[in-house]
Amino acid sequence: MRKSVVMVAVAGLLAGTAMAQAADTKIGALMDVTGPLASFIPPLMNAANFAIKNVNDGGGLLDGKAVLVVGDSQAASQPAVDAATKLVNVENVPIIMGALASGSTIAAATAVTIPAGVVQISPTATSPAMTEMNDGDHLYRLVPSDNYQGDVLAKIVLAEGIKKVAITYVNNDYGVGIANTFNAAFKKAGGEVTAFEKHEDKKNSYRSEIATLAKSSPEALVVIAYASGSGSKIVKQAIEGGFFSRFIGTDGLRDDQLIKEVGADALKDSFFSAPTSPDKNDASAKLHEAFNAEYKEGADKPFVDQTYDATFLAALAVEKAGSADKTKMIQALREVASAPGEVVGPLDWAKAKELIKAGKDINYEGAGGSYEFDANGDVTGYIGKFIVDGDTYKQIEIFQ
Amino acid sequence: MDPVGLFFYLVAFLIFGGIYAILCLALNVQWGYGGLFNAGIAGFFAVGAYTSALLTAAPAQTHLGGYELPVPVGILAAAVTAGLTGWAVAKICIRLKSDYLAMASIGIAEILRMVIVNEDWLTNGSLGITNIPRPFDGFVQGRAADILFLLVVWAVVIIVYLICNRLYDSPWGRTLRAVRDNEDAARAVGKDVDAFRLQTFVIGAALMGVAGALSAHYFRFLSPEATEPLLITFLVWVMLMAGGSGNNKGAIVGALSVWAIWSMTEIFANRLPAEFATRSSYIRMLLIGLLLQFVLQRYRSGLLPERSPGNAFDKDTDKTNG
Repeated sequence: MRKSVVMVAVAGLLAGTAMAQAADTKIGALMDVTGPLASFIPPLMNAANFAIKNVNDGGGLLDGKAVLVVGDSQAASQPAVDAATKLVNVENVPIIMGALASGSTIAAATAVTIPAGVVQISPTATSPAMTEMNDGDHLYRLVPSDNYQGDVLAKIVLAEGIKKVAITYVNNDYGVGIANTFNAAFKKAGGEVTAFEKHEDKKNSYRSEIATLAKSSPEALVVIAYASGSGSKIVKQAIEGGFFSRFIGTDGLRDDQLIKEVGADALKDSFFSAPTSPDKNDASAKLHEAFNAEYKEGADKPFVDQTYDATFLAALAVEKAGSADKTKMIQALREVASAPGEVVGPLDWAKAKELIKAGKDINYEGAGGSYEFDANGDVTGYIGKFIVDGDTYKQIEIFQ
Repeated sequence: MDPVGLFFYLVAFLIFGGIYAILCLALNVQWGYGGLFNAGIAGFFAVGAYTSALLTAAPAQTHLGGYELPVPVGILAAAVTAGLTGWAVAKICIRLKSDYLAMASIGIAEILRMVIVNEDWLTNGSLGITNIPRPFDGFVQGRAADILFLLVVWAVVIIVYLICNRLYDSPWGRTLRAVRDNEDAARAVGKDVDAFRLQTFVIGAALMGVAGALSAHYFRFLSPEATEPLLITFLVWVMLMAGGSGNNKGAIVGALSVWAIWSMTEIFANRLPAEFATRSSYIRMLLIGLLLQFVLQRYRSGLLPERSPGNAFDKDTDKTNG
């Protein structure tokens, strides 16, 4: 008896939702809801839901409403693959937003979405491995790869007129990734690297390493490490020993702790790179205001912008393609995300829908960037150049 | 829902189920036959996965290996290295009584995980290994390749099942059950208890390594996230308990039914409005826990309990009586 009641209830639930969704279009989302990233998720879930809400308030998707179907990828490979399998095969979504962690994103992509031909847009994955992946143009992301900063830093250094540097980097994925890219880019652009040495984090003295680095008189020392770890110590000991007076750092080193330990005066010739937002971004401010009006809080949490943008882009791609046909998504996504075209931003669904209907080309400029995908599905993003100003840092230039 | 999609979901479901079935069979050898409480399954799984991945993946500067060897070589090597790891572990802690062995094996699995995360010259650390091939890669494109992989996985499941059954019926298996049920008695009749337990542990660990290798090939990508103890160690324990420890068919049934509960509940959770998605994921985990509680309470010795094979003595009596 009880069993049959449950069965009827389940059947009713399935039938009810099936009918309600007759003309609706599903957008898949892989979110690491439970698992190690759980604490990040609530604002991001709101961001994805908010994008879908904007779509539905602004006239809906295709001829019906947009429906977000969430798979719980748990920031681990097995659940990510399992959840992606269900989104692709059971829910038949034409496009997927997610996942968040690089590991679950790549596992879902290589095992499921790439073979099935479904486009996947990760708002947050930064793993350099995704750039070179043989993904048939199905995998996109909205944040630059970890390696990107190395490329841009090489440009910044050369623009400063420095031609000869020594490089030291901390031996982990952060340090190795950026250092290798910087080294290659700097040499290619005509710079000279006198030393390229890794070091272990959490040592007390780096004097012998610094002495090696100082040989053949480089103009500056590039330190790719965390200020709270080896970074501050290396800078301090290099100054104390009189080996270097000019330092170039990345976002790991650009920390108030460095100024506290070394002093602003000793860093007056040094400069730093770090990911930053575009100069004047009204889109972000507009989204944050609307987001907080809806959910009271959370707009400033990490990756809310990108998650909103990824969901919005997924919906735009479906609208542009004119149907939920997954084979049309690659072309549609590239068209709506990149220039040329009339610029639309967050919350502008009604405008975008009208433009698409009129057959006009659109270009989505999101809250977290403009998302001009390159051939690998990567974005460039913005890197700022910072100098020390009193006891904090000042951004003096933006590179792209 | 379109039937083609459902078919491919079923294929993926059975691939996962098959990999878990191998893990369950392996644990059954250790726990069901030998009474060894191994709580470090994820460790041997990881050793196997990384061995096969490093041997078969495309060359890369970010990690050791990338020898592009054929996949079967990788899988066999995975069994060997996981077995050797099991041997080293067993040498140290096989004499520990069951609950102490559990603690020691959790510790060892954790050590292995830390090595994998930190030794990035070997494993590329947390960024993982990409470009891991599947067997018969290139013969079939797209989703259909899953069907081919399904056949490979279940071929391995059947081989492992046959090996395990043979072991169970052999004199070796009988001795092992004697060791499990009454160690002192087994020792008293002159069996080398420690040697038997060591062999059991090594065989189980090697099979766990095979499962690890298969999952690395399935995902075509391997990172430490794939060796999460919740999903490997504890889920496999639940599967074996639900299926019936000591029974090889039970191990396979347990793996499939628990994975069905784990995976298919999400389809129902997805019927709820998306606003509930955060909550429904947690509710789903809660329901999975409740369902498993129910199965474990209702079927104490598993869905298919252990059935000792009739022994020679019984057969004789049968003949005389009947």
